[in-house]
Amino acid sequence: MTVTEDAPAASTAPLEPAAPALAPAGLAATLGAGDHKVVGRIWIISSLVQLVLVGLAALLMAAEKIDTGSLDVVGDDWLAQVFTYRSIGGAFLFLLPLTIGIATAIVPLQIGAATIAFPRAASLAAWTHVIGSGLVVGAYAIGGGPLGSDTDGVRLFLVAFALVLVAQALAWICIATTVIALRAPGLHLTRTPLFSWSALVAGGVWLLTLPVLVTMTTLTYLDIRYGDAGGIFGGGAGSAYDRISWVFTQPTVYAFAIPALGVISSVVPVFAGTRHQRHRLALGLIGAFGALSIGAWAMPSFGTERQPWLYEIPWIAVSFAILLPFFGLLGLWALTLKAGHPTAGSPLLFAGVAGLMLLVGLLAGAVQAVEPLETLVDGDAAASLFGTTWTTSVASYIVLATAAALMGAAVYWAPKIVGGMCPEVPAKGVALLMLAGTVLWSFPDLLAGLFGQAATPSTLVDNESTIEALNIVSTLGGAVLTLAAAGFVALLIRGAASREVPGDDPWSGHTLEWATSSPPPPGNFTTLPEITSEAPLYDARHRTEEVSA
Amino acid sequence: MATATATAVSPLVTAPAPPVRRPRVLLVGAALASGASALVVLSALAVYLQVRGDRIEGGTTTLPEGVVLPLTPGNMGLLTLSMSVITMAWVVHALRNDDRTHAYLALGLTLLFGAAFLNSTAYLYQQLLMGFDASATAALLYIVTGAHLVMVVAAMLFVSVMAFQAFGGQLTGRDAEGMSAAALYWYVTVAVYVVVWYGIYITK
Repeated sequence: MTVTEDAPAASTAPLEPAAPALAPAGLAATLGAGDHKVVGRIWIISSLVQLVLVGLAALLMAAEKIDTGSLDVVGDDWLAQVFTYRSIGGAFLFLLPLTIGIATAIVPLQIGAATIAFPRAASLAAWTHVIGSGLVVGAYAIGGGPLGSDTDGVRLFLVAFALVLVAQALAWICIATTVIALRAPGLHLTRTPLFSWSALVAGGVWLLTLPVLVTMTTLTYLDIRYGDAGGIFGGGAGSAYDRISWVFTQPTVYAFAIPALGVISSVVPVFAGTRHQRHRLALGLIGAFGALSIGAWAMPSFGTERQPWLYEIPWIAVSFAILLPFFGLLGLWALTLKAGHPTAGSPLLFAGVAGLMLLVGLLAGAVQAVEPLETLVDGDAAASLFGTTWTTSVASYIVLATAAALMGAAVYWAPKIVGGMCPEVPAKGVALLMLAGTVLWSFPDLLAGLFGQAATPSTLVDNESTIEALNIVSTLGGAVLTLAAAGFVALLIRGAASREVPGDDPWSGHTLEWATSSPPPPGNFTTLPEITSEAPLYDARHRTEEVSA
Repeated sequence: MATATATAVSPLVTAPAPPVRRPRVLLVGAALASGASALVVLSALAVYLQVRGDRIEGGTTTLPEGVVLPLTPGNMGLLTLSMSVITMAWVVHALRNDDRTHAYLALGLTLLFGAAFLNSTAYLYQQLLMGFDASATAALLYIVTGAHLVMVVAAMLFVSVMAFQAFGGQLTGRDAEGMSAAALYWYVTVAVYVVVWYGIYITK
């Protein structure tokens, strides 16, 4: 006889699943998004909006330079604003945000991670950047900017610019941490895909540069706010652009191009149909390029004029040394293409344009470091090439080459970013427009610098007619670049609006981002292939072919 | 009579699988953030040293007439932060050994040392008797020490948040990564102060 009761019979009815939580949709989903793909799109859209304004400023400056004797187009009041917005907006409101956007969207996919590191911080960085960039534009609109005439506008610009820099630094922390700490099992650091590796290297370089720029911006603000008696830098807003413009000269300007190396290295093996040659060597070369582009030590506030031996010799050495890793990468890309059977896809065309323009920019940068070379100006007015439009042309080549690479990246990864493929033939047309536009825009500036045109708007002392003719060609180049930019935006819109499902892997890619659907689901992956090399999908595809053979 | 059904355990069952090693996301992020923060302070210090050197070469005093830079607050700050390095390491060690009593004690001491450092810097500002815009060197001295103060406050906030996690039982001997990340940021903050102390107080 039992002394305990039998346990009551358990219910055999299946448990009803809990009602699914309501997922936010529409604007609420975008505002509160922690999904790295949504955050990446926020950065990209912000950069494209700024591209319109930057393009307009660049065209106005180019048109102004046609007649160097007067200010017919922009006028004296707006010249400083347009001049500085072209460079600051182009670099920090268009190019870097586009880089960050593509890296935020693609890097977690490429390394097999479910999300980006610190997703809330990534979202905070994106929205802080949107607000900061809006304030920068607002500051310019009220006569601010670093060389503005309105003191309140200058102060607003400095605060807004510092906000933009802090947001970008936070975004790079998220991207770099993702590559270091969230790689899929089996994906050692030496097997990291080259675009993700370049994002890590770029993140490291920018985390060494942006804090210095934040400090300079803050010091300049305090100088203007409190420096009536002379101040930290001698007082006045005239020094504000000097504290920022070092970023647009070598070696720091080369840091913008680091992700371009990663994009080219990702696209070339896919369209060659073979592995990237000497993957580990390519990792080292991209790392070396990044290390040589760290340039905060060369900024003027650190006494470069007083101790030329400490700064000039390393500056010249770096200007030449940075060619070595780039030539190494060029060789590896050529070997990869030779080892495979290249197909002329639009991403490969963009990569080719970017590589060619980078080569020209780096070579021109090395030439301007040769001290005895002077401008072709008569008499005592002859000066070093540095400080002429040769210098701005070097920056233009680097920036436009990177822009071409990032456009190619957006077209290549469009299935993952916007969920659809960009039309191939128009994409090739945009690539060719970028090539023509970059050459027409930047090469005349190289020659104009050789003939003595200063980087900042000023009166010419010699070769006036030659320089004005070159400036006309440069303005035409600007028009071609405008067409290319409009074409790129149209490509992305077509890709996003496309109803055709592109499939998981339309390019027969080699890395993990192609092992999930297009667009990827939340959490990115349901399963991952076995990772035994830097090209796991290439390995899996060849294993399947061997088995079926 | 109910009979219990014994569940036989095979002698071939292996030990349970080791826990999946968590990637050190917070530690890596803290390392990057501490490097970036350090650079902000150190670049301001570099400009301060540059401007001070220019004034010395120009034959003028680095600080306004009649202003003396007291050494005591700076030295006391260095000693205080040095002790906080020991207590911070004690926190991490105690948490890793699940010694919660000592972990909470060390946390309290660390935050107390941080507050003491803030107090000594406030005392320095009071003793300086010079305005922010008295001279370029004066402004930069306030900027450098003020930027470092922001780092200390950020470090104290980080440690406090991790302390709450420890109180809530989230940080244990098996997983004390959060406190390790806070400790790393703390150590970098102290290292930056050593450089600032040398640049401002020793080489003045």
